[in-house]
Amino acid sequence: MAVAWIGNRETLVERAAAHAAALLGSSRCPVFSLDTDIHGTRAAIALAERVGAAYDHADGAAVSREAALFTDKGAMTVAPGEARRRADVVVVVGELPQIHHQFVGELSATVPDLSTPDLSARNQREIFLIGSNEMSAPRLSNGRIATLLSCGEASLGATLAALRAQWRGRQTSRPVSNFDDFAKALEAAHFPVFLFSGDATEGLALEMLQGLVTDLNRKSRASGLHLPASENGWGSALASTWMTGFPLRTGFARGFPEFDPWRYDVARMIAAGEADLHLRISSSIVQPQKKRNRMALIALAKTQEPVAGAAVTIAIGEAGVDHQAVVYSSRTGSLRSVDARAASELPSAATVIRLVASHVSAEAALPC
Amino acid sequence: MLTKIAGGDIIDPVNGRLGKGDLWISDDKIVAAPAAGAADRTIDAAGCIVMAGAIDIHSHIGGGNVNTARLLLPEQHAAHQARPATTPLSNAGWSTFQTGCLYAKMGFTTVVEPAMSPGAALHTHLELADIPIIDKATLAILGNDDFLLSMIRDDASSTMIEDYVAWTVASTRALGVKVINAGAAAAFKENVRTFSLDDVVPFYGVSSRKIVKTLQAAVDSLGVPHPLHVHCNNLGSPGSADTAAATIAAAEGLPLHLAHLQFYGYGTEGKRRFSSAAARLAELVNATPEVTIDIGQVMFGQTVTVSSDVMRQFSARGSAQPKKSVIHDGDGNGGGIVPYSYGKDFYGTMQWAIGLELFLLIDDPWRVFFTTDHPNGAPFTVYPALFELLMSREARTEMMAGLSPPAMALSTLAAIDREYTFEEIAIMTRAAPARLLGLTDRGHLGAGATADIAVYRRDQNIAKMLGQAAYVFKDGDLVVQDGEITHYRWGKALRLNPSPDKAMLRRLEDYHQQRYGLSLDWFDFPDTAIAREQPFGEVACRT
Ligand SMILES: [Zn+2]
Repeated sequence: MAVAWIGNRETLVERAAAHAAALLGSSRCPVFSLDTDIHGTRAAIALAERVGAAYDHADGAAVSREAALFTDKGAMTVAPGEARRRADVVVVVGELPQIHHQFVGELSATVPDLSTPDLSARNQREIFLIGSNEMSAPRLSNGRIATLLSCGEASLGATLAALRAQWRGRQTSRPVSNFDDFAKALEAAHFPVFLFSGDATEGLALEMLQGLVTDLNRKSRASGLHLPASENGWGSALASTWMTGFPLRTGFARGFPEFDPWRYDVARMIAAGEADLHLRISSSIVQPQKKRNRMALIALAKTQEPVAGAAVTIAIGEAGVDHQAVVYSSRTGSLRSVDARAASELPSAATVIRLVASHVSAEAALPC
Repeated sequence: MLTKIAGGDIIDPVNGRLGKGDLWISDDKIVAAPAAGAADRTIDAAGCIVMAGAIDIHSHIGGGNVNTARLLLPEQHAAHQARPATTPLSNAGWSTFQTGCLYAKMGFTTVVEPAMSPGAALHTHLELADIPIIDKATLAILGNDDFLLSMIRDDASSTMIEDYVAWTVASTRALGVKVINAGAAAAFKENVRTFSLDDVVPFYGVSSRKIVKTLQAAVDSLGVPHPLHVHCNNLGSPGSADTAAATIAAAEGLPLHLAHLQFYGYGTEGKRRFSSAAARLAELVNATPEVTIDIGQVMFGQTVTVSSDVMRQFSARGSAQPKKSVIHDGDGNGGGIVPYSYGKDFYGTMQWAIGLELFLLIDDPWRVFFTTDHPNGAPFTVYPALFELLMSREARTEMMAGLSPPAMALSTLAAIDREYTFEEIAIMTRAAPARLLGLTDRGHLGAGATADIAVYRRDQNIAKMLGQAAYVFKDGDLVVQDGEITHYRWGKALRLNPSPDKAMLRRLEDYHQQRYGLSLDWFDFPDTAIAREQPFGEVACRT
């Protein structure tokens, strides 16, 4: 099975890696986009420092919104295990990524076992959904339907603002649907938990949600459960933070890490023609991508053929399928080790990146 | 390879070696002077003092809460210069890489991360594995977790509790156990806002004292070398000295370590009802030989408080500077991140003085440990300045001149003459930490010890002398020369490895399936997950 290509021509991995290194070495403004596990991220950041690259998640906007909640405002959050064991009221904030729907279903099928909330009336958690009817909502157990909290066509941020205002007893121009049910549930609640993600949620809505959670904590308890838009994305953000002090959208153009969520938005850098070389690392998905300009592409992907338009393609395995990996798990709210489900010969992203790095220069060995 | 460190002033209190002499290293160990044969390498240590590598027993250097603090404060750790090629990422502000380099430059070779949430053990160890040069270790947090509190409520046997503690220590690769405001994080989830030693956790009906005593006994009977590491209730509040005194009294003959005592050194005298109770606490510590403490010294300037005492951090949110914070309700403790700036006002001065009083009024350097509770009292980079304050009365007097007079009036600091000697520094930062942690291979310079060695060029300026070591060896490898890192090497995380009880494993498997809907392997990991050669070093339990 072929695993490496220069252009459309099959070659040895070693040779493809050397060619990738040469491209990186001569690039004026290389950018990396990541969709990989923790060790793939670590290797990529070590390489980015060496070649002066900027890096971001492959779908950087959502991860960046989530990181911005922390870098700009802070938050009150709860671990997923505590949410499962303690939340007597569950509030789904906006549209959650599909990967989290099963967990919401599980919350609807179970009851808290810690503390002693009074669920005697129905023996189930109360579940609300903030948003609109058009959203794809998680399916609840027994055909239950979450109580909708909406302000007609208003944005999620505006709906949250209205909800917060009404909770504080203020007049709002457009009241939130089912507010009285919500208020009653909160009055009785021991530990309401708000499930949020940066996926379809604008940054202001995340801040507004935290404002509501802060208000609730004046007299009782409540918290937010962060369900990341991308588990790989959040895992990469964490690894980047310990390695450089900063989350994704960090660049090494001047030899040391600089965090700038606008300047180092890799999708923007590509669209604006600032980048002249794109290293795309994707161990879980291969997205065909239209080439917009003459920028060279190095693709590390789980593929059996060269990626269209790529100067170099090297096949890598999928984390947790082809090889053991460490990934972020939204079920534990931390990093988790996963065994290979179907171990194969395909190398990990980390292995290939280190191979590329070994060809970049003869300076001291990279630390990851 | 045979190395001779020639002609330095050797300070090795453990082996009673004090004075000019040579120190020999063969590969990674210290050896006796060979009868014949020449050194492959000679280091001229004339005009230098030679000590074992320093050991920090309490510094928050990695794990979930520390990383959240980095994430919260990108504006506070910008790097300012391009990296040197030999030490990648070492100038990335407040990164794991910078942490290892800065510690090594000061001659520290082992650092303990004292607050590892068991659920974040893999994350913590991955961060520690990216801290170059030094060895690391962790303490696993227990005492707010449902499994333990339920066992105590249900009168589980001490064997069962020990099995659970042993499993936690083994699966998280910890070197010891810490309890943080025992029961308070669980109570906070039930909307309790203050919590003391004899308060009871709702739902469980278990007091904070009972949790501390249960864990203290389990740790002792398992033979964990490090005594239970206690972060007391009521941290930071006026009158917290009463809580610390009650906790010291609760040791009752078994070893107990109290973390960052400075943060409990507060009385309620004076018109601000905030005063120094350091003299009282120091006297209690002096009279209670089973108790050890570390200080958690405050130094002035911007820092960030990072603590698994979620209840305390929640109540401190209002003082956040800059105005942002993170409060996390975790599976056990969770934690809170609140940035803070210590000013030279009444309160800041009081805290600064209390820490120094404790250092100087506790007589036995074997029982008082050198910490700033990094980054809570100050970042560890202030250590050289703090050494100077301990070793020079003149330096203290100079500093006091610029501080709050009303605060100084409530402190005994100005009247204390004591100056730490190098020998006492060697005990407090080398010999005693090694003994407290059960690390027999370090903290001294005897034959057979690991060759972790710090060589400092004598200088009138103590801060300069101890801030930039002339030479540092880690495992016999010369890693610092003239205060600069020469290259990376990868240390280990030191851990205990008690074998888990099979029945306890089955119980825990059931528990995780039932309560979290996940099998136990979601919470465990193989060593290979760390992706470094030999990420762990094993330390023996007492037998
Ligand atoms: Zn601490």
